[in-house]
Amino acid sequence: MNESLPITCAGETTGSGSLVRAIVAEAAALLAGLAETGETGRIDLAGLPLTEADKAALEELLGAGEVVAEIAVVGRSTVAETGHAGVWWVRHYGSDDRIAAEVLEITRIPEILLSHPADIAAAARRLGDTLGTASAGATDAIKEDRPDAGP
Amino acid sequence: MPAHETLGEMLAARGISRRAFLKYTSWLATLMALPPGMAPAMAEELAKAKRQSVIWLSFQECTGCTESITRSFSPTLEDLIFNFISLDYHHTLQAASGEAAEHAREAAMAENKGKYVVVVDGSVPVKDGGIYSTIAGISNLQMLEETVADSLAVIAVGTCAAYGGIPHANPNPTGAVAISELVKGKPVINIPGCPPIPEAMTGTIAYLLSFGKLPDLDTLGRPLAFFGESIHDRCYRRPFYERGLFAKDFDDEGARSGWCLFEVGCKGPITYNACATLKWNGGVSFPIQSGHGCLGCSEPDFWDKGGFYRPLSTPLRDITPTAAVAAGIGAAAGLAAGALHRAIKKDAAKNHHTVTVDNLEKSS
Repeated sequence: MNESLPITCAGETTGSGSLVRAIVAEAAALLAGLAETGETGRIDLAGLPLTEADKAALEELLGAGEVVAEIAVVGRSTVAETGHAGVWWVRHYGSDDRIAAEVLEITRIPEILLSHPADIAAAARRLGDTLGTASAGATDAIKEDRPDAGP
Repeated sequence: MPAHETLGEMLAARGISRRAFLKYTSWLATLMALPPGMAPAMAEELAKAKRQSVIWLSFQECTGCTESITRSFSPTLEDLIFNFISLDYHHTLQAASGEAAEHAREAAMAENKGKYVVVVDGSVPVKDGGIYSTIAGISNLQMLEETVADSLAVIAVGTCAAYGGIPHANPNPTGAVAISELVKGKPVINIPGCPPIPEAMTGTIAYLLSFGKLPDLDTLGRPLAFFGESIHDRCYRRPFYERGLFAKDFDDEGARSGWCLFEVGCKGPITYNACATLKWNGGVSFPIQSGHGCLGCSEPDFWDKGGFYRPLSTPLRDITPTAAVAAGIGAAAGLAAGALHRAIKKDAAKNHHTVTVDNLEKSS
């Protein structure tokens, strides 16, 4: 929709370098904290009046890292480590593939990448059931091959 | 879904992982300006919650609020809220009609006594015994009273429910009043707007589910997360206001350059809402970005504030001798000021020019 009817108004596209520097300074302080004490931190980018130019400048300053992950749950999410280990850029997309939430996470690994214990427990049960079904299926197949075989 | 099942179990049964909750609460934290570190704890609480029974009552309204909450969603992140609530009664959306619909409401009230949330859109007429709006032969007033009696909380969505809105506008022929004037002894959250921003409605319901308590409210009962700042505070055109650059008309050079719309009647400075940050239609735009001033639709009596195109600095009435005396100004000065204001307004009407701040400053 934006492409077919661009709405641009004066003052929207110019960035504020001071805001970008403030974010980087906060990230640096949180990263130092992570290195020393292991304490994690988050900076909510969506809550800040950042223009597209600001975001581009911030991305350039932080750089690109080694990890890029995509999550498919109730829409798309992307998780990318920046060029600074421990600083992750997490984007959650909503309807029309627009960014609904955008957070800089200062952590060893963003929590959304970890499998939740409840999901792991459910998966273990499901996998057990699958194995049981597969074993029963295998037994049935043997019976079909050897009709005279006992139980 | 079984009544004892948690939301986490419900989504797991559909093959959706707990990541969905974390994603949802990260979004919610962004929407409500909550500390971002709270998202994981909120996700845990939300996964443990049971599905919330909601009874939606529509009274003197235009269905715009329902349009807003339902039309903005596609089956993604924002859609999740409809998995978290059980909409047990909504006479526009439900398949049942007539007595069967009313029985659905009564059944939900009995099954979830003391636990259900009542959402109301529309004001309630109280003149002449409330006869001006009835559903299934029951007056709005009677239906509100009996439905709210055993509820957990009430959410008044839209300006009509929050403050009386357009039915309440002068001369208010049906005696329309706000929900908060009729509901006593239950918490009432107001989410005004004509219509309200969908995220303000769904976010407030999700907050109730996650925390089991009301969000922080302002003096008008509105969640501070969505109504804590004025449109003007967060408007991207604010720098033009600070520099004194105003559009004087909707087709002048200032309007085309995206200058501040204060002088063509924008009510942004006195309107508290999240339009400038959350925006509308999937974050595409909001009225000021589209070139029109804010109407102030989330404020009480926005319809009776003297005109959408009247600058805020313009007095609502001509300065009369009486008013001038009351204000402690000499009668002669008052008469002169009143005459001058009338002359400026008459001239402005003749030339189709808006009265500006400069005009007023020169006249004082």
